[in-house]
Amino acid sequence: MTAWRLSLKQGPALRVDLRGVVPAVLASLPVGEVERLRLGYGKGSLALGELFSVAASTGGEGDELVLQGDLSRFDRIGWQMASGRLLVDGPAGDYAGACMSGGEIIVKGAAGALAACEMSGGSLIVEGNVGDFAAGTLPGSMDGMRGGRFVVKGSAGARFGDRMRRGSALVFGDAGDFLASRMVAGTIAIGGTAGAHVGYGMRRGTVVFAGAAPQISPTFVPALVDPAVFWQLLARDLARTGGPFEGLARRTIVRHLGDLSADGKGELIVAAAA
Amino acid sequence: MAEAVVRNGVSIDDGFAEAFPMKATRILITAHSIEWARHAAASATGFATSVIACGCEAGIEKELSTDETPDGRPGISVLIFSMSGKELAKQIERRVGQCVLTCPTTAVFAGISDGDAVALGKNLRFFGDGWQISKVIAGVRYWRVPVMDGEFVAQETTAVTKAVGGGNLLLLCTGTDSALAVAEAAVLAMKKLPNVIMPFPGGVVRSGSKVGSKYASLGASTNDAFCPSLVGLAPKTELTAETKCVMEIVIDGLTERDVGEAMRVGMEAGIAIGAAGGLLRISAGNYGGKLGPFHFHLQKLLGARA
Repeated sequence: MTAWRLSLKQGPALRVDLRGVVPAVLASLPVGEVERLRLGYGKGSLALGELFSVAASTGGEGDELVLQGDLSRFDRIGWQMASGRLLVDGPAGDYAGACMSGGEIIVKGAAGALAACEMSGGSLIVEGNVGDFAAGTLPGSMDGMRGGRFVVKGSAGARFGDRMRRGSALVFGDAGDFLASRMVAGTIAIGGTAGAHVGYGMRRGTVVFAGAAPQISPTFVPALVDPAVFWQLLARDLARTGGPFEGLARRTIVRHLGDLSADGKGELIVAAAA
Repeated sequence: MAEAVVRNGVSIDDGFAEAFPMKATRILITAHSIEWARHAAASATGFATSVIACGCEAGIEKELSTDETPDGRPGISVLIFSMSGKELAKQIERRVGQCVLTCPTTAVFAGISDGDAVALGKNLRFFGDGWQISKVIAGVRYWRVPVMDGEFVAQETTAVTKAVGGGNLLLLCTGTDSALAVAEAAVLAMKKLPNVIMPFPGGVVRSGSKVGSKYASLGASTNDAFCPSLVGLAPKTELTAETKCVMEIVIDGLTERDVGEAMRVGMEAGIAIGAAGGLLRISAGNYGGKLGPFHFHLQKLLGARA
């Protein structure tokens, strides 16, 4: 079992599909076979070794994989990953961590669109920003992210958590318009400022605002009751991620329920100033 | 039979208690105040003295501080024991549904995580009539049921674990007052231990039983060898002329070690009162060692024998 370090030799002329390049697959391969792995390249494919130099990570465990370089044109990093640890030392392209069901992925830069798309388990941390439709759906799918924990330490684009079904998705920074649109369930928490139309078509689920209060649409109604028990369970869990969520359980909350236009029983929870 | 050991005038039988495998779970009940958690816990563990006719044996294990509960409110941990996992599941659902869900401000959580999952809030969610909300937090599912005082939060499942039931002590005393004093002291000491309950009223059973009866339909009947009112009448008695009152304490625990420790602590509390306080002898109930796999030797528990 080898922990591989793949270092980008040159920027690709076309976008590259990195599905299949996950710790569980590479750990048991010898270096020659790693280099010969085929990667989707535009409409064709090319060998991994043409883009990456492959070396064994010193001191690494067999279930780790490091990808180093500017990978912003590399899509589907960690696609359907089920186990192991993947570190991207640089920015990532679209669909980072999409459909992953286990393991841990850390992206040390920004990620493109559709990060954590249909994620069902494991942990994905993006230290930079993410593009649009993070935690969302594959084309035509009814449910987006449905499990696991997704943390964005930067800001998110538009439609963060679109059709999200389950799991926890946290953004330390700001989010664009249509945060939690068509949300089915699950938990989103944001530390910065949200854009317009939060919770548009939301059915169930919870969006926690630890930073600025958002503009709340008239299809949400104020909640009379403070769900103290539930808030403690949720806030303590979110606080484990730190950052703007530290001490969340001590803060009082104001809730709105909706989206009534979708028969929704979701909630927007604004935490009072820390 | 080897000689009894005597401690502080109390004769400790060279005998053993025979106990049986059971299934158990722990649930945590929290509420707005400890008083309301107590109401819910007392109600949920009521009528749960013996699996013979109550379906389960249940009791309060201990009170929990706000640091020890998932939601930071005062709480109580409750242990429930049944003969089978299936019966246990049924008892949990009934008791939580009728006694915890109904009690003001409560929430209920699993107190054990390792074991087969059984429904805790899972079927109670339907009380919400479609307004209930599921929430998965850190991989654990909770149900939020709208009720008149706000929300009833219940973890979806709790875990069932193997457990031990029927550890016991027989306290042979000089009269009612001394028997009660000894039994109360023993139960008080045992209540401080984790993982055990003493399911009978006040932790004590006065109607200790033996297997069998002259009546074909009764499986158990009064333990005549330990009945003071039958000394001289019953063909066989374990009592002397001084023994006017015998009390039994039954213990259910999560492990063999827990039950043994409770028996030891109970015996020590009785021994501290001693013969001067009216405790003549400590014995234990068994079925010849043939029915139950767990044997708790009194002298061995006290460390009085190799």
